[in-house]
Amino acid sequence: MKTYAYFPGCSLEKMAQSYHLSALETTRVLGVELKELEDWNCCGATAYFHVDELLAYTLSARNLAMAEKEKLNLVAPCSGCYKNMYFTREHLLRDPDLAEHINDALAEDNLRFSGSANVQHLLEVFVHEVGLKEIRAKVTNPLKGLRVAPYYGCQILRPRKDHEDIEQPRYFEELVGALGAEPVDYPLRLRCCGGALILTNRVAALSMVRNLLESAVKAGAAVVATACPLCQVNLECYQKQVNKEFGTEFYLPIMYFTQLIGLALGIPPKRLGIGSEFVAVMPAIAEARDADPVPTGK
Amino acid sequence: MSQPKRLLIIDDDPDFVAGIKSILVKAKYEVDVAYNPKDGFQALKDKAYDLLLLDVMMGRGAEGIMVARKLGKDPNLRNMPVLIITGIREQMAFLFPGQAVHPHFVSVDELVEKPVEPKLLLDRVQALLIKSAEARKTNSK
Amino acid sequence: MNAAPPLEKDVVPDPTPPENGLSFVEEIHNLLHASVGNPISSCIQCGTCAATCPVASGGFMEHTPRRIIALIRAGFKEQVLKANTFWYCASCYQCTVRCPRGIDIAELMYGLKRYTVWKTQYQKGLIGPVFSETFVKMILRTGRSYEPILATTYIFTFGLPEMIQEAQNGTALMLKGRLPLLPPRIKRLENFKRMIRRIIPLGDSE
Repeated sequence: MKTYAYFPGCSLEKMAQSYHLSALETTRVLGVELKELEDWNCCGATAYFHVDELLAYTLSARNLAMAEKEKLNLVAPCSGCYKNMYFTREHLLRDPDLAEHINDALAEDNLRFSGSANVQHLLEVFVHEVGLKEIRAKVTNPLKGLRVAPYYGCQILRPRKDHEDIEQPRYFEELVGALGAEPVDYPLRLRCCGGALILTNRVAALSMVRNLLESAVKAGAAVVATACPLCQVNLECYQKQVNKEFGTEFYLPIMYFTQLIGLALGIPPKRLGIGSEFVAVMPAIAEARDADPVPTGK
Repeated sequence: MSQPKRLLIIDDDPDFVAGIKSILVKAKYEVDVAYNPKDGFQALKDKAYDLLLLDVMMGRGAEGIMVARKLGKDPNLRNMPVLIITGIREQMAFLFPGQAVHPHFVSVDELVEKPVEPKLLLDRVQALLIKSAEARKTNSK
Repeated sequence: MNAAPPLEKDVVPDPTPPENGLSFVEEIHNLLHASVGNPISSCIQCGTCAATCPVASGGFMEHTPRRIIALIRAGFKEQVLKANTFWYCASCYQCTVRCPRGIDIAELMYGLKRYTVWKTQYQKGLIGPVFSETFVKMILRTGRSYEPILATTYIFTFGLPEMIQEAQNGTALMLKGRLPLLPPRIKRLENFKRMIRRIIPLGDSE
């Protein structure tokens, strides 16, 4: 069994609890252990970079150093946390003076960063570490006929880490396909959801959410799959406000990709946190199933 | 005093630098300026200075602290006196309403807050130069 | 992460330096001295950033990122610092990855936010700076983020309709069990606070 130091991040404690639950349920079935990082702290979000980047690096480095102590690689389900910790590690490895300075602070908590723990996003763990073949083999309840719009958003892809393809990625589509569902192509799949602007520049963010929802609906999506709590909250919890602001009538379920995996693995919806959403998920699932029933038995 | 003392300023605020530089030059100091920590370290590598005037909030954040701490660990530079001149209390007022804490980074350093009166500036510079000269004498004995 | 490929020479000459001997573009270069991207003096004003930015292309920014760079190079300091542009940046990094000159434009936006926060020179009435300051303060106190505190402290900067909408959303989330009732705290909070003080040596001991 492969074990990771799991960094849930602040949103998953409550706001995105269904992501947390479904991540734990699905990884267990697939032979991955997510061991929650003891005493983790906030990654700094974007706000810290607005004030002092060294402080932002310190927050992320504390988490990295704790994962190192456990001799485990770090996995984050939130794209923002992932980006912060990934690039903090990069910056500290590239700049020894910076690392020395941050380590001086970490010593107050008996910690030291060396860079030995790498950072992955939860989606990468499923796609690259578990592998689509393995996932496909464990699917007992293929999501046939379900039209899913995979939403990458920003910070899983950007900034670019190495030379990977960030303009035409396909792995999220392939994952959706491995679950038996039908990935939907839509133009805005890599476009920003507005992120924290939902709180600081509401109209701009609502219009960005509207554009995304419109793009997915036009392409015939029955649900959107996300890999980030902020994207999920913006796209789902603010749908009502979008409708009010722009006179639209969106009612599009926004699911975590782990919830889709969980359903395909036959895990009961409740254990995946399904039921706490504003836009009900199960009717869309049922509708797809009724339209394209999976033959039971032989 | 035969040779004029050589001072380096590392500070990102061009208006403030212009002000203190003219005061120091008028007092017959030789003054170089680096507007960011990276250029500052390069200057320290290229030339020997008798004293460093160091700002705190620069570039990515409180980089002056990073500079001071690095100097403290450098056997060639840790005896150079440092005058930290900072507006950090005002710059970070929203965050910490309290006092500036001065952890003492090198053997002879002092912290003063912006804005600095010309007389205070010259007094502190002179006092630090004398103090570090005395420290050097004691060490060499 | 890859550093941007070095450029042979700057394309546009810097404008004449002001009285203090340093042009605004040099000041910004100093602010970004640790950036892995190329200096903004290498911008060719192609407009890729403006076109690719989801906020600018929606018409929400007073100046597009391209224009901000042009203004910096022309020395329009006050106009730049008072602009809403960088506070409306969502950090999506689309501009950064698509810039043909390898300028880290999102990093420039972060830099401008810092610069104006330190000098309290940002445009009055913007929620962004208030939000950031509230957020940073909260994490320094507990180590973790807590949505209800966050909402109540800066919600008054909203207009009334937004405030009602946000409160409705908060209540709905609470009913769905998606908001915590008590603020979370990390365990080694004292160590954590001492750690922070090593980076920013300020504040009374608590």
